Amino acid sequence: MKKIIFLGYFITLTLFALFSYLFIDPNFIYLKPFYTGFFILNRQLATLTYTAFIVVFFLFYLSFFRLTLKNLISKKELLLLIVGSGLILLFAYPAILSFDIFNYIATAKVTFFYHENPYLIMPIQFANDPMLLFTHAANKVALYGPLWILITGVPFLLGFNNFLLTLFNFKLLALLSYLLASFFVYKLSDKSLKVLMLFSLNPLMLVETLVSGHNDMLMIAFVLGSFYLIKNKAGNLLLYVFSVLIKYSTIFLLPVYIYAFIKKVDLKKIFLSSAILMLVIFFLSPIREELYPWYAVWFLPFLILYSTKKEVILFIALFPFALLLTYLPFMYFGFYSNITLFSKTAIIILPLVAWISYAILSKLRSKLL
Amino acid sequence: MLKFSKFLIACLFLFLLLTKSSFAASSYVLPYPSTMPGSIFYKINLVKEMVLKYWYFGDFGQFTYNLKESDKYLVESKTLFEYQQYLLGYRALQKSDTYFVKTLPNLNMAKTRGKDILENRSILSQAALKHIEVLSRMRASVPSSFLWQPEKVGSTNLNLRDAIDSSIKLRTNYL
Repeated sequence: MKKIIFLGYFITLTLFALFSYLFIDPNFIYLKPFYTGFFILNRQLATLTYTAFIVVFFLFYLSFFRLTLKNLISKKELLLLIVGSGLILLFAYPAILSFDIFNYIATAKVTFFYHENPYLIMPIQFANDPMLLFTHAANKVALYGPLWILITGVPFLLGFNNFLLTLFNFKLLALLSYLLASFFVYKLSDKSLKVLMLFSLNPLMLVETLVSGHNDMLMIAFVLGSFYLIKNKAGNLLLYVFSVLIKYSTIFLLPVYIYAFIKKVDLKKIFLSSAILMLVIFFLSPIREELYPWYAVWFLPFLILYSTKKEVILFIALFPFALLLTYLPFMYFGFYSNITLFSKTAIIILPLVAWISYAILSKLRSKLL
Repeated sequence: MLKFSKFLIACLFLFLLLTKSSFAASSYVLPYPSTMPGSIFYKINLVKEMVLKYWYFGDFGQFTYNLKESDKYLVESKTLFEYQQYLLGYRALQKSDTYFVKTLPNLNMAKTRGKDILENRSILSQAALKHIEVLSRMRASVPSSFLWQPEKVGSTNLNLRDAIDSSIKLRTNYL
């Protein structure tokens, strides 16, 4: 049975990777022969198929959780699932849900190809660059930290001016950050396979990091690394500073570090306070721009490390599920309007309300019993 | 003939009535005046100016930097002239010129490196037009020359209008 689940999981991942190529942008000249226009011509079918994939991914997630609870998954098998997921999704087309990876490459190109300051010069200022055809934020200067820009020099330069090679180098960077974060989660959880599984095989982590290639995972990997150093009494702020210099969001964890350095280290408290702080920042993100699903990477690892109680597990399954479904309104309608925004908000709020109700009811029930 | 003369006079009158003299106009926007010489912040700004030179690396970066500094010093010069601080205004104008001539070589360098410079070249033309517009107004309000007599040192005659004319001529080449 276990082998069938594993096989089914890998087949589903492969099918999803193939499915992602139906979302190739019409202006993405580098994969023009593979462009079908499917997602534009068959929005209903594309939306339904995507939903089915997400549902199946979460069913696998729950199956893996049950197998881990029963100690039916060995360390080696879990490693196979993690590395296998990474390798399959490495070849998925990254711009199915977000175009951020193109922005990363555009910023790296401004820096390492045009030798201009990406904090001053926008990609759009290079009028004949073919990247402008499909880069969605070409009219913005660099949004991320200087360390991120420096790191992107490696995949960019190793692309040797071949766009597809560069693109998959950036995906490889995302895969490495995912593996690094998984390693630190495993170490921080005292080598708990359950915690590692809950983190690494969470479909939101897989889709947002391994498919879309977001840099949030690298930012969090550095924080997890710094917590690991704190755990081993070798704590210094270097890895934390690295994290802030990737993407500034983790600056809000500064009180946690101050606490960790002043008081005696209590990892559970560190994880809880980190989860709360990043969750607050997550919900405040619409002030700056919009609440994006991949921002959940900011708090989920800390929540998973804090507790694997039933309520928490329900949250880390239910909320990412809802977040991955927030793509549906745009996928279905193909444009942003009041109805898409309303649907998106409803998709985020409803599961939260359901979870809060469940948490309150179980608390009341336990008090009554 | 008289009728024709009357007609010509009427035409001339109409022409004068309907035509208003105007300066060269550009949509390019100059910055607000920054801190002025004598202020402690002015010295800090000089340090900032030096640091920013390295922050604005790259051909387009250097182009933007030089144009921004040229704009800043032009506005400074205009403000100082308005307060009859002719020596300081004269120096600011010279600085503005120095920065302005450094703009185009950076664009030419960018072009040789395969960058499309059309948009930046257009920005430079607009900037040159705006500078000429401001300089023309300045020219009308300053004395043709100014004798600067500092204590303990010999006097210096500043040919203000010649300096402004020279600045206008310099920018005309960039239109």
